[in-house]
Amino acid sequence: MQFISLRNLRFMLHEVLDLSELRNSERFKDFDQEAIDFSLDAAQQLADQYLWPVYREMDRNKAYFKDGEVHVLPAVGEGMRALGESGWLSAAWGFEHQGQQMPLTVHNAGSLIFQAANGNLAAYGFLTTGAANLIREFGSEELKQTYLQKMASGRWQGTMALTEPQAGSSLSDITTYYEPQADGTYLIYGQKIYISGGDHNSVENVVHLLLARQKDGPKGVRGVSLFVVPKHLPGPDGLTDNNVTTAGIYGKMGQRGYVAAHLMYGEQGPTRGFLVGEEFNGLKNMFLMMNEARIGTGMMATGSASAAYYASLTYARERPQGRHPGNKDINAPQVRIIEHADVRRMLLFQKAVVEGSIALLLQCSLYEDTYRVTQDDRSRLLLELLTPIAKSFPSEYGNEAVSLGMQVLGGAGYTDDFPLEQIFRDIRVNSIYEGTTTIHGLDLLGRKVMMEEGKAVQFLATEMQQEINNAEQTEATREIAAALALGMESMQQVLGTLLQLAQRDDPRVFLADATVFLDYFGLHVIGWMWLKQANAAVRALPNAEGDDETAFYQSKIQTARYFFTYVFARTAGLRRTLLAETRITLNTDEAWLL
Amino acid sequence: MKLLVCVSKTPETTTKIQLTADGTEIDTAGVQYIMNPYDEWYALVRALELKEAAGGTVTILNVGPADNDSVIRKGLAIGADDAVRIDVSEEKDSLYTARQIAEYAKSEQYDLLFFGKETISYNGSEVGAMVAEFLDLPYVGEASHLEIDGTKATVTRDIEGGEEVIEVQTPLAVSAAKGMAEQRIPNMRGIMMAKRKPLTVVAPVDYPDTTRIAEYEKPEEKGSVKLIDPDNMEELVRLLHEEAKVI
Ligand SMILES: Cc1cc2nc3c(=O)[nH]c(=O)nc-3n(C[C@H](O)[C@H](O)[C@H](O)COP(=O)(O)OP(=O)(O)OC[C@H]3O[C@@H](n4cnc5c(N)ncnc54)[C@H](O)[C@@H]3O)c2cc1C
Ligand SMILES: Cc1cc2nc3c(=O)[nH]c(=O)nc-3n(C[C@H](O)[C@H](O)[C@H](O)COP(=O)(O)OP(=O)(O)OC[C@H]3O[C@@H](n4cnc5c(N)ncnc54)[C@H](O)[C@@H]3O)c2cc1C
Repeated sequence: MQFISLRNLRFMLHEVLDLSELRNSERFKDFDQEAIDFSLDAAQQLADQYLWPVYREMDRNKAYFKDGEVHVLPAVGEGMRALGESGWLSAAWGFEHQGQQMPLTVHNAGSLIFQAANGNLAAYGFLTTGAANLIREFGSEELKQTYLQKMASGRWQGTMALTEPQAGSSLSDITTYYEPQADGTYLIYGQKIYISGGDHNSVENVVHLLLARQKDGPKGVRGVSLFVVPKHLPGPDGLTDNNVTTAGIYGKMGQRGYVAAHLMYGEQGPTRGFLVGEEFNGLKNMFLMMNEARIGTGMMATGSASAAYYASLTYARERPQGRHPGNKDINAPQVRIIEHADVRRMLLFQKAVVEGSIALLLQCSLYEDTYRVTQDDRSRLLLELLTPIAKSFPSEYGNEAVSLGMQVLGGAGYTDDFPLEQIFRDIRVNSIYEGTTTIHGLDLLGRKVMMEEGKAVQFLATEMQQEINNAEQTEATREIAAALALGMESMQQVLGTLLQLAQRDDPRVFLADATVFLDYFGLHVIGWMWLKQANAAVRALPNAEGDDETAFYQSKIQTARYFFTYVFARTAGLRRTLLAETRITLNTDEAWLL
Repeated sequence: MKLLVCVSKTPETTTKIQLTADGTEIDTAGVQYIMNPYDEWYALVRALELKEAAGGTVTILNVGPADNDSVIRKGLAIGADDAVRIDVSEEKDSLYTARQIAEYAKSEQYDLLFFGKETISYNGSEVGAMVAEFLDLPYVGEASHLEIDGTKATVTRDIEGGEEVIEVQTPLAVSAAKGMAEQRIPNMRGIMMAKRKPLTVVAPVDYPDTTRIAEYEKPEEKGSVKLIDPDNMEELVRLLHEEAKVI
């Protein structure tokens, strides 16, 4: 059963993205092509053995809460330990933390394999890595000694505990608070909701990376600090209870094997926390994990869409139904549905979304790696600018792609004989958690396009222009490049209009259509990613060895053309909406929403 | 214990094999290679388990061109200590290959020489027995279990309707079949260490090639599946009798 294309990941890492700068660095010098291929092969083997076989099972035997304990399938623990013991959870860490200094670009390519195989299981692992990264980056030596290796082994779960009933999108409104103790620790009081991996019986301990505010301290983000709050306190005599109470877990539409818990701290006795980083730097530090988790959410959505694509492709190659228009011969055999133009439209849409998203996610990862070794503004700003797209494009378009995947199967897609219905339910949450799509629209338009005098957008325009300049070789790429160039001109006009609005009007007006702008901007970014892939395919095609390789490169060029004709074309409509100063949403009286 | 595991490469199992125009060679354009699964999953992993239990070293040996280094390093990533490649650039027959292995191994005093029971490409099952003959060692083929106690080896073979258990003294040569061990997924540390482990390249000894490939033929394409209505048993019987010729 295929759920992702390793060939495509290798294409991205060896033929599209230029990793030479990383290879010239001391930190990443060992990651040559062979090391990358071995790593991806190993990830595929782990996914085949531990993740994919239990994807449906984790849904059918969903997590449940009984007698104070959250029950998940033993396969969750087995999978996490397999990821831990194989070194994947800590592969990107430095040698000093027993990591392998793997570039994130490679690590995330591996994660995409796990996410496609079974995002619900993979997420337990990578959430743990994310939480441990905060300790590694900001924690004291003692915290590192106590927690890092246990978490890296997959035996202790990590979480990010931010959300509260009154503080979801608006994290500055959290009320969970802390009180310092004489021994340097803190007591924590309050509750957190929807905490993924928040409690389960497949691990020995759960380590919450929790945001809380100083008791009676300043309001807003200023009073917020970051803590390690373990479910069980590690001590010389082993683990002792830390009074983190699970009130229950949520019944969810999808991701039913991936627990989201409601937790209470300090309710049944003292809950002890340990400060991570400096006091009052909590939200700023937490952003390290949140930015990572945003890319991670994009990967999870992409993984789901990838699994759906291959499931529907397999079905379309086998299912005979109908005849070609014009063929009235009832004795003629039915054709396989992959032969119908409209089924191809649906398959190409999925492929365009999946491979376009993978390209952007790996491109972002490369910016992050490059920044690590060069500390350059360009990589840092491009990563910041593109993160909202890398999170929301795969989530939003992934939903549409999986829906079309189901459509390809017809009635069968709606039944639980096939995985499509589960994937359809599972992918949905990605546009909600880690900041709703709206929040990312606000972040992009309200902050990122203008940060540091609009430098990030200028860097992006330069990158896009370079790819347009590379597109001269063939008619197909020239056409795509021309469409992208035209899009960039329109984008300037749209940005000009919006920024004028920002100057002369209430921010409410300027930001009213931020989500529409996010969509519009995102389609340009993915268009750039498709041009980049098409250019690489054009370069490689003359030397392709064998029919499969030739078809691979041709599929890239054709999918790029599809993307521009069928998906990028939507930018024209979005642009019209963005330029229409009608203020429809703001001028809609609440009373009219009835 | 000093253990040698002989490994070869085979085309990846999903590869569509094409022949050259004259049918005497496989067209290698675009073919992806893997380590022969019997060598990797069973022979190598069992050797590593024995080493982990009793100490010693595991060396991988391959007879082939420099292109094979990647497959060899995969074995190092899984856990072998070092590797040797006997540098032979052309495709050679089993006897030639066995001669090269024997020449190398004769001065090394290995306690155990492992082979896979066959390659999944040529299915020859020849090299292991030939090496044992050259070195005058006992040989057990298609072993599904192997235990070592001092210098006594207990080897189990699956035979028609049951098992055969053989006791034999080391040094010996065995070829590994399914059951001897379970595939190991290389961990990240192993993958990164593989580069730093020694891979020695040695020149082959002169030896004549005694056979020549006259021609390869591809099997006939499998026909499409026929679905027979469950109410139409007579038709099924007729087809099994007349077309499939199995009854
Ligand atoms: C399955 C699941 C797992 C989760 N896991 C975690 C976890 O591990 N840790 C954690 O801390 N949290 C977690 N969350 C919480 C998640 O991050 C929040 O649900 C999310 O941030 C949205 O917050 P909310 O649910 O309070 O919705 P609200 O903030 O109430 O949003 C409701 C709607 O209003 C819109 N909206 C809100 N504010 C604005 C605004 N200023 N301008 C315009 N529109 C606005 C939103 O876009 C949304 O459409 C999880 C949630 C789910 C469903
Ligand atoms: C919950 C449920 C309830 C149902 N209830 C009933 C019922 O009460 N009575 C009843 O009779 N049926 C019922 N159906 C069957 C339903 O009408 C069919 O599932 C539907 O018509 C699609 O047919 P199919 O499932 O065979 O898909 P297919 O026909 O195999 O379609 C698969 C894909 O191929 C495409 N396709 C097929 N033919 C062509 C073509 N010629 N050109 C281009 N694309 C093509 C389709 O659009 C689809 O995307 C039900 C189905 C479901 C899921």
